[in-house]
Amino acid sequence: MSIPRYPLPAWHLDPPPPVEAALRRTRRRRAFVLTLALAALAMFLYWRYVAEVPRDHTGIEDHFKYGSIGSEYGNGVPFRIWRVLPEMFPEHLPQNGLTGYEALGFVVERDKDGRPTADTPIGFARRRGPGHVELISVNCASCHASTYRGSPDEPRRTLLAMPAHRLDLLSYFEFLIKCGRDPRFTVENIMARIEAQGWIDPVEKLAYRYVAIPRTRERLMESAGRAARLFEHPSGVGRIDTFTPYKLIQFRYRDPELLRPGNTDLPAIWNQAPRVGMRLHWDGNNTSVHERNISAGIGAGASPTSIDLPRLKRIEDWLLTLPPPKWPEDWPLDHSLAERGKPLYLRYCADCHGVPEESFKGRKVGTVVPLREIGTDPERLKSYTYDFMSNQYSLGTDQAWRFHTFRKTDGYANQPLDGIWARAPYLHNGSVPTLRHLLDPAKDRPKTFHRGNDVYDKKLGGFTWDQASSGGETFPKFDTSRLGDSNAGHDGAEYGTDLAPADKDALVEYLKTL
Amino acid sequence: MVDQNGDGPWDVIGRPITFARSGLTVKNRIFRSSISGTFDSYDGTGGYARLNWEEKFARGGTGAIISSFVPVSLRGRIYPRYAMIHEDRTIGFWRAVGDRVHEHDCKFIIQLSHAGRQQDDRGVENRFRVGMSPTDRKDSFHGLLCKSMTKSEIDQVVEQFGLAARRAQRAGLDGIETHSSHGYLINQFLSSGINDRTDEYGGSLENRARFLREIIASIRAHTTGHFHLQCKISAVDYNNAIYPWEGRGNTLAESVQVCKWLEDDGVDGIHVSTGSIFPHPRGPAGDFPIDLASEAYDPIVSSGVRGRFNQRIFRGAILSRLFRWWWRHNRGPVIEGINAEHAAEIKRRLSIPVILNGGLQRASLIARIIRDGMADGVSLARPLIANNDLPLLFAQGHDLAPRPCTFCNRCLLADLKYPLGCYDLSRYDNDYDRMIGEVMSVFHPSPYEDS
Repeated sequence: MSIPRYPLPAWHLDPPPPVEAALRRTRRRRAFVLTLALAALAMFLYWRYVAEVPRDHTGIEDHFKYGSIGSEYGNGVPFRIWRVLPEMFPEHLPQNGLTGYEALGFVVERDKDGRPTADTPIGFARRRGPGHVELISVNCASCHASTYRGSPDEPRRTLLAMPAHRLDLLSYFEFLIKCGRDPRFTVENIMARIEAQGWIDPVEKLAYRYVAIPRTRERLMESAGRAARLFEHPSGVGRIDTFTPYKLIQFRYRDPELLRPGNTDLPAIWNQAPRVGMRLHWDGNNTSVHERNISAGIGAGASPTSIDLPRLKRIEDWLLTLPPPKWPEDWPLDHSLAERGKPLYLRYCADCHGVPEESFKGRKVGTVVPLREIGTDPERLKSYTYDFMSNQYSLGTDQAWRFHTFRKTDGYANQPLDGIWARAPYLHNGSVPTLRHLLDPAKDRPKTFHRGNDVYDKKLGGFTWDQASSGGETFPKFDTSRLGDSNAGHDGAEYGTDLAPADKDALVEYLKTL
Repeated sequence: MVDQNGDGPWDVIGRPITFARSGLTVKNRIFRSSISGTFDSYDGTGGYARLNWEEKFARGGTGAIISSFVPVSLRGRIYPRYAMIHEDRTIGFWRAVGDRVHEHDCKFIIQLSHAGRQQDDRGVENRFRVGMSPTDRKDSFHGLLCKSMTKSEIDQVVEQFGLAARRAQRAGLDGIETHSSHGYLINQFLSSGINDRTDEYGGSLENRARFLREIIASIRAHTTGHFHLQCKISAVDYNNAIYPWEGRGNTLAESVQVCKWLEDDGVDGIHVSTGSIFPHPRGPAGDFPIDLASEAYDPIVSSGVRGRFNQRIFRGAILSRLFRWWWRHNRGPVIEGINAEHAAEIKRRLSIPVILNGGLQRASLIARIIRDGMADGVSLARPLIANNDLPLLFAQGHDLAPRPCTFCNRCLLADLKYPLGCYDLSRYDNDYDRMIGEVMSVFHPSPYEDS
């Protein structure tokens, strides 16, 4: 017999009568449904107003053109601000006959009636963040996609992974900074423009008014101070000073000696598979395609923590086998002449640039030629310093991808010449406008020429270089006498510059087929 | 006022009525309709106040009193403190009631009842039970829970009605009325809006009426001779009056058919009312006093799963007014003789007497209804609570009592919390103490007073 406990334990309750039990069940059900509803609401609110949501694209080409690589939180600008800046501050854009971000050389995709098919040019990715504010920033395609055409009357043809030979990336950042410093960059002015563009989520509106706009102005003004030195040696069209922004913004260098400009031509990035294991970058400072890509992502503005590796990997995988572009079928090509040029290529070029039929393998492909041999402009090489390299190793030390393979070299690396026709101008600093000019001795190459024209010179193998303007568009002058912009080097009998003109023509014709 | 035969209203109303089959004769056409009051002991043992209560009406000239809601079993109660007839030990009490009423030449018909699921307060004895019903679906108004009855439970309840009838006869009462209306158990079986059974007690009208007809048979089996037996029927259910999405329930045609079967089964009379819930906008037809509802509803808040919901409505400043409007809207403009047309239709199709219930207190109207053959008698409750001597007033030539019932329904709601009586302050010249004095008069004399 059990001994009753007196008093009954505090938690003792009679069983509930049926109505109370039913009410409890209802309350529990209601609480459950309410909890679910609140959880769903919280998830929705989190997703809408807190979470970081990149704008994704199913197709790989769209992903390359508009997909995020995580640079938005490095140098992103709130999208709605970004969108109104060109119309608010057109005077801060290059005055080259084009309008909006196209004036900076970004590629706007258009339908056959000339209407843009996307609300940003190629090379801009968006990622939504707190307050439903979407940030926009450049991605791989901004520097590695551009246009070409056979004549000024033709529509521009877009080619992905080609060097953005029309892009003035530095001016883009300069434009943003100028806008940020402009006294008209006020909450009222920007909000008025934003609101004029249509409905805006009320939370987003508040976020813009009280956070996004003031903070963007603050950040741009802050950048103005930090990046001032960057604009002292403008890279110009189709080029970028790879390391100076890194040094100034990421590492906060102040020593002028450490801040030597090292402008380089933007490279093509197709067909990466054969390049695996080669010395990459113009000076061959790295042998890992993956590390090189992460470094480029950080260069595009991603931080070691914001870089979006899975999305970068999609691009990386695609680029491995993206074929180089063929010489357009509707363009003239003298096959017999090219045939004559082939032995010349094999004799003069193949050793360093590879045999096309053998996946561009060659004795010296992907190796570094010492500067004293190649003789090209040394500034890019000098700008990559031991000091900078050491600092690079300090990036992402807690990340699996942390850099291991950067090395300081003593020259420039040989590269495969796949799709070389679309990679003009030539040499690491883009100082030689066409393939034909590259076969001339350095002293005979153009001292100045114009960059940014996408009309192709089908004879010489490069973009039209001798016109300051065309079709209402002006093209900035490239002066080889400026520091770092020399067109010297890659010169001498072994580089084919002593060949007879007819042989040079034959070799150029062959190069067009690569 | 005077008809073509030169008869005044009382000449018609005051004429005795004899139920041909049972031989029950009532001295006039005024029946006190069933109305309960919490006058008894908690366990259903009758109390002295009920004797006083019923005597008020007998003394006032009422021809026959139909008792309070008298449960035939504990599970059939709607409220504690209503006298029951569930055990033989209650016979003595009912005999006393009968005797007291008979002293005034008034008949006493006991209303045998079973609440089914419609138990406003099922009492502590039933605390862990839910209501019995033909369905598992809870009641639509208060959310009173229930469980569908098994066949053996049905048989048990049928038997309980028979046993209760036998007790009534042994108590010397004058007759029986089955409470087969107002949403109580028998009505739950009858109503197509409530009964969702698929066995022989659900589906067709014949099946739905089976339960009542078995009760009639049981009563006949348990009583001797041809004991007077009448059935109170909701002529039309209006089951969706409050919640329009509920089923409509039985139509008049269906009820007429049920009444015809009852006539065939030997029932002596039909008492016509309306509604398959109680209270219902049309029964008792009148107002819904939200001020009283907000306090009187308290005791039954915990009885059903919609109690708190209803209480919020009754206590809400706007919701209560909306509810009151909805209630009055569903009642319609007519109060007096609200069910007269229904009774007339039943009377036309039947040969047994028909008693009409519903908002009647005007002698001329009552006389006209009887004279026109719409009904043979009328049953009143609220007007008799207001004026216990209304039949005498009619006999004296009053068409309407000097202070008539206002159909405010305050008595109806007060019953949930307070002693039953007329709580219409306007009838007492706004003298609250006088009103309470009148209400409390039911407790005098008590058996313990030194006279």
